Amino acid sequence: MTATVEKALLIAGIGMVGIFVFMALFYLLILALDRFLPFHEETPAEELSEDSITDEEE
Amino acid sequence: MNTLLSLTDNLRTFWSYTGFYNAEIGHIIMILIGLVFIYLAITKEYEPLLLIPIGFGILIGNIPFNEAANLQVGIYEEGSVFNILYQGVVKGWYPPLIFLGIGAMTDFSALIANPKLILIGAAAQFGIFGAYIIALQMGFAPNEAGAIGIIGGADGPTAIFLTSKLAPHLLGAVAISAYSYMALVPVIQPPFMRLLTTPQERVIKMKTPRVVSQTEKIMFPIMGLLMTAFLVPSGLALLGMLFFGNLLKESGVTRRLAETARGPLVDTITILLGLTVGASTQATTFLRVESVKIFAIGALSFVIATCTGILFVKLMNLFLKKGDKINPLVGNAGVSAVPDAARISQTTGLEYDPSNYLLMHAMGPNVAGVIGSAVAAGIMLGFLY
Repeated sequence: MTATVEKALLIAGIGMVGIFVFMALFYLLILALDRFLPFHEETPAEELSEDSITDEEE
Repeated sequence: MNTLLSLTDNLRTFWSYTGFYNAEIGHIIMILIGLVFIYLAITKEYEPLLLIPIGFGILIGNIPFNEAANLQVGIYEEGSVFNILYQGVVKGWYPPLIFLGIGAMTDFSALIANPKLILIGAAAQFGIFGAYIIALQMGFAPNEAGAIGIIGGADGPTAIFLTSKLAPHLLGAVAISAYSYMALVPVIQPPFMRLLTTPQERVIKMKTPRVVSQTEKIMFPIMGLLMTAFLVPSGLALLGMLFFGNLLKESGVTRRLAETARGPLVDTITILLGLTVGASTQATTFLRVESVKIFAIGALSFVIATCTGILFVKLMNLFLKKGDKINPLVGNAGVSAVPDAARISQTTGLEYDPSNYLLMHAMGPNVAGVIGSAVAAGIMLGFLY
């Protein structure tokens, strides 16, 4: 195996490991987002203001 | 008599300036290639937004003229209009601007809803590093091999960006190869998708993705940018612009900017990029044995990327519970040809089960592929620049 091939394999190996580590961290980031910012039914701003007006009137 | 002689001389000089006088067989071949691109774009609708500007650019770049006359019309003549426009490619300005537009039109919901799909976008990058090793074996220098390898990412702007840094002399061949194979994704991928999957696997129905909150969508590009900046700073130009464009889209308060980024801006840059990349393929620089090798390696890299994406899904399925299994037909979408690769997952899936819609699921690995190929480009840049 020549030095060039060895270096190429090394770069390819480090590159692929690097990509998987990067993506794994992204995966964890998304899990964290889901955990700390879970989905709630988002009420449109207009409805909110209408509700508050109705509450005040009541 | 003198007038007649003078007229003859002038006519001879005029004739020496014409394309007919200066034409060589290489020009004719390249003009035919440009016409094929235009034909494929119009009749087959293979990536027409790219192939029309590139095809027409090939025509422009291969109009023969008297180079000694210093007419300043050629793309490689300093100061010519095309040369000035070409600086956006050479200096790498256009690709990040394209990424800004891509970010402003990309919905990351599919990825956020099912984050394990992001790993498929990583697996498909084997195409890049596989092609890199093959290119080295075929005698290319390490920097050239890196530029050629990136074709396997199926991402034109990334390929142009990296090649402009690592091997500018290969820009035309790499860009044309990358865009040609991106246009041919519907032809290249399906046979390998069928070859590597069983009939049972092709009809796997995936769970409906969860709803993604707006806050998650806003936080994703911000956190993504910070992570990229700290982990792979060399990928910042592309991924920074991608996430910036996405924040413009998702913030909900910069609609005008987002619409400009994904509309007029990206269209303008696509026109300039396509036209100048096409024009850079002058016969003298393009018609060489190296170009043929680059095309061959490019095809191989697409095949490797498609196969590794599919095989990785099969590997993941070994560890996933029955209800969580992934249809391997979305594995091909790990390459970043957005949204073509995802559409192929959908159409191939529908062939085997007309009620199985895979598009939404395939968009996850597809956008992950965009991130993955930009990260790969950053890593290559870090090692080889």
